[in-house]
Amino acid sequence: MLQEPFANGNSFIHNLDPRIRILFAFFFAIIVATTWHLSALLWAFFFVVVVFVLTKLNMRDILKRILVVNTFIVLLVIILPFSYPGQVIYALGPLTLTKQGFFYALYIFLKSNLILTCVILLLSTTSIFSLAHALHHLHVPSKLVQLIFFTFRYIHVIYRQYQKLMRAVKLRCFTPKTNIYTYKTYAYLVASLLIKSYDRSERVYKAMVCRGFQGTFPVFRHFKMTTKDRLLSMAATIYLLFLAILAWK
Amino acid sequence: MEVIKLEDISFAYPRGKIVLHGLNFSLKKGERVGIMGPNGTGKTTFLQIIVGLLKPQAGRVVIMGKERQTETDFYEVRSKIGFMFQDPDDQLFCPTVAEEIAFGPLNLGIPRQEVAKIVSRTLGLVGLAGFEDRVTYKLSGGEKRLVALASLLAMQPEVLLLDEPTGDLDPQNIKRLVSILSRLSLSYLIVSHDKQFLQQVTQKQFWFEDGRFLPLDTFHP
Amino acid sequence: MHISDGILSVPVLVTGAILTAGGTALGLKRLRHETVPQTAILSSAFFVASLIHVPLGPSSVHLILNGLAGIILGWITFPALLIALFLQTILFQFGGLTTLGVNTFNMAFPGVIAYFICHPLLKIGKPHSITLAGILAAVIGISLAGLFVALELVFTGQGFIPVAKLVLVAHVPVIIIEAIITAVILNFLHKAKPEILGVDK
Ligand SMILES: Nc1ncnc2c1ncn2[C@@H]1O[C@H](COP(=O)(O)OP(=O)(O)OP(=O)(O)O)[C@@H](O)[C@H]1O
Ligand SMILES: [Mg+2]
Repeated sequence: MLQEPFANGNSFIHNLDPRIRILFAFFFAIIVATTWHLSALLWAFFFVVVVFVLTKLNMRDILKRILVVNTFIVLLVIILPFSYPGQVIYALGPLTLTKQGFFYALYIFLKSNLILTCVILLLSTTSIFSLAHALHHLHVPSKLVQLIFFTFRYIHVIYRQYQKLMRAVKLRCFTPKTNIYTYKTYAYLVASLLIKSYDRSERVYKAMVCRGFQGTFPVFRHFKMTTKDRLLSMAATIYLLFLAILAWK
Repeated sequence: MEVIKLEDISFAYPRGKIVLHGLNFSLKKGERVGIMGPNGTGKTTFLQIIVGLLKPQAGRVVIMGKERQTETDFYEVRSKIGFMFQDPDDQLFCPTVAEEIAFGPLNLGIPRQEVAKIVSRTLGLVGLAGFEDRVTYKLSGGEKRLVALASLLAMQPEVLLLDEPTGDLDPQNIKRLVSILSRLSLSYLIVSHDKQFLQQVTQKQFWFEDGRFLPLDTFHP
Repeated sequence: MHISDGILSVPVLVTGAILTAGGTALGLKRLRHETVPQTAILSSAFFVASLIHVPLGPSSVHLILNGLAGIILGWITFPALLIALFLQTILFQFGGLTTLGVNTFNMAFPGVIAYFICHPLLKIGKPHSITLAGILAAVIGISLAGLFVALELVFTGQGFIPVAKLVLVAHVPVIIIEAIITAVILNFLHKAKPEILGVDK
């Protein structure tokens, strides 16, 4: 669940400076989310396909991921054509399907999935830690970056703790059902996790103090922009400008 | 010369019972001491007092000949005395092994190029050469221990305090730890439940119970 | 419920982003350097809690606990949840990039309100006042979050009204479950570790 299945690759995209990827994904998402032009969406789709090929990722893994996330979007897309006011093109008893509603739903479906795929291809292909590192260099407030580092680091420890507790509870023949007793058991589980985490946070802080921590984090490594990265960010900027013109014309 | 000297230390947790009462202890330069004792007698508490993570309600903490009271006093202490925690997950918080080991030296203000050398040298010392880019939370329990040890050694301490270092080590890794410790030329204080291990790596062993140290050989648990 | 990219209108997205930026700035100002590890580790615990699915009839729902997070973290709920949502977007693609602001606001702002309403009750320290605080935190946390999602959809377009109604209805059983769970957790924490709640016995 907490794995980063797409992060460990060795492709053109994987080796790209994470700062470029974050900025690109961010602007791409904004442009695509706000456009109402099919031509812009087509160009965005073309781009996503190119990036997909460059990541050398497995098509099935990506599609599986996209499918899982689509539940809410699909619900919307099914309801919208019937609830949107406009020119009726099909009537089924009291339900009326409108042309505007149909296109609206189609746009939402395309936009959501284009951005979603772009996030997978550009951002999920980096480890969270290098993303956080890149955010630091993009001048995101340092406390926020430190929070990302720590939160992600300890999610794993706490998740393992949760699994252990859950196993122990199951060994004592607990079977979750829809009743108060079940909810109380889960509440105890979460409360123990919170207390354990709180105690752990005290020990972690002490361990840091022992190694000379005084509130600021020294950065050990820095990113280096290669010529390839520079050329690519230029190309990416041109593409984004082009997309923005198409999208907002 | 005594590097660590505790005199008449009393300590109780807020809203808790008294853990230490009138405790005396000293460690001389070059000494290697082992401590055993039942769970919950205050071994971890005792170690934390030495590095100033807990402040005793009464008594004197004298480290390297100076009495230490304030946080600034202990800042210097902590650069000289490395403290390894019972659970390595409490200690290792950086994404990669290299950053983990660099954290202490960078806090001490050592320049970055120098730190890079320290990182690879220390990793070699604990037998984890080439582990620089490994992700800390994905290491095995034994590897985490060794990285935690390396992160302390990188600060070039004069004394090590190890709280149950064999916790999750298999016999192979215990052997590795024994050989690392015997190669080091510094004083240390080890809390452990493993008598055989303590006898291998320390010269003197104590049994700690009811806030008192008794020589281990006069005591037969 | 997290809203994906590509659905909401620009004014809604921008409003959400601005409000979350404000809340996050306030939260970060209150966050001292020394308490960064503590806040982060508590947010990790909330993140893990949100992965827990509890049964509801033939299906199941995952815990949200934004009211409880609010009680424990106050304004710091904003940065904590912003990060949790960011991680969810990258790790599982729940939510979205352009909706990060809106989604954070939906979860965090009700949490902050719960903080201000429930703290006086916790200070009283009687078991029933703590239980009441738990129930209120869940009701405020979940119903406001649902209401915000519904409003954002309606502001985006009239065509979303049926969906918005559906969203509201779907939140009702979650409110009940979260109310029970939050009340029990608060009583547990108050007994075992009142420091977490910022009330010392
Ligand atoms: N933060 C705390 N607040 C209150 N009481 C505490 C706290 N930490 C420890 N104690 C209590 O103080 C006593 C000594 O604890 P300590 O951790 O020092 O024991 P220990 O000898 O290291 O035990 P172990 O062998 O299990 O590691 C125990 O009874 C414990 O319950
Ligand atoms: Mg101990």
